[in-house]
Amino acid sequence: MRKIDEQDILQRFQRPETKRAAFEEMVGAYSRQLYWQIHHLLQNHDDTDDVLQNTFIKAWRGIDGFKGDAALSTWLYRIAYNESITWLKQRRQMASIDDEDFVEQANFAADDYFDGDETEELLMQAVSTLPAKQRQVFCMKYFEDKKYEEISSLVGTSVGALKASYHIAVEKITNFLQLKE
Amino acid sequence: MSTKNNRILNPEGGRYPFKVSDEYFDNLTARIMAKVDEAEQAEDTYTNESPEKGAKLVSINDSNTRRNKRWLSIVSIAASLAIVATVALKFIPWAGNTAQPTDELVAEYTADDYNEALMTYTMADNMDVYCYLESGDDMGAEDAY
Repeated sequence: MRKIDEQDILQRFQRPETKRAAFEEMVGAYSRQLYWQIHHLLQNHDDTDDVLQNTFIKAWRGIDGFKGDAALSTWLYRIAYNESITWLKQRRQMASIDDEDFVEQANFAADDYFDGDETEELLMQAVSTLPAKQRQVFCMKYFEDKKYEEISSLVGTSVGALKASYHIAVEKITNFLQLKE
Repeated sequence: MSTKNNRILNPEGGRYPFKVSDEYFDNLTARIMAKVDEAEQAEDTYTNESPEKGAKLVSINDSNTRRNKRWLSIVSIAASLAIVATVALKFIPWAGNTAQPTDELVAEYTADDYNEALMTYTMADNMDVYCYLESGDDMGAEDAY
């Protein structure tokens, strides 16, 4: 991830002549990180691509209202998370499924972007059974090796709550794997 | 208990088993900016959309329109009331007959007429009436004690 000077970016957002260039710089700096964060929730490249674009369109429309109360990355992450949840709900509605806890049976072997073996496929199937928040926390911790403090500043949840979420997620995955034996 | 599947979860973490070509990320910023521009243009078109040439514009907040609406409602209420009153006078029998009983009518129906009708109804003759009146006087005297 490219490092950017948030204060500088925020100042450039204020001026119409520099706003677009500053936004483009922000997209370049955060798009890769956001792509994977959205992918953790949706687990599908095409959906992730669509939601990522929607996220930045929403960010562009809301940039004048962003006063820098939170970090730029946190603000973007929250837009991306909300967009992903909306997308998941729409997907569920299109499938005419009313059950909130419904879990789609992911077929990773047929996904061109999947790059794992059978064991990893099984693990991803277990991850796909988790609720959105737990899935997000588990992926950030397990696959990206992020510190709880880092995740906390990104998602706006306390470290204690994140630890609990991760613990529950690991338990659920373990149970899932035991059932698959 | 350590089984094969339990060992899938590595305490050290693992690799996220999805890949995306570098080309995708190389072009991503340009594609996103193109989408942002597209969305902004669509928004501008929507907000600045002008009406077709020659189209008649009617403002719902126009004061003339409001005044006309008020008159229309007053006239329609008055017409409704007139219709209801006409129907009531025509079809409801007691509605139109508001005349009070006259003095002649009252005078015709006297106390004698009432007593005569009462005696006929009870089949009583003059003797019965005298007896009744006498016993009434006696009872009144007893009540006095």
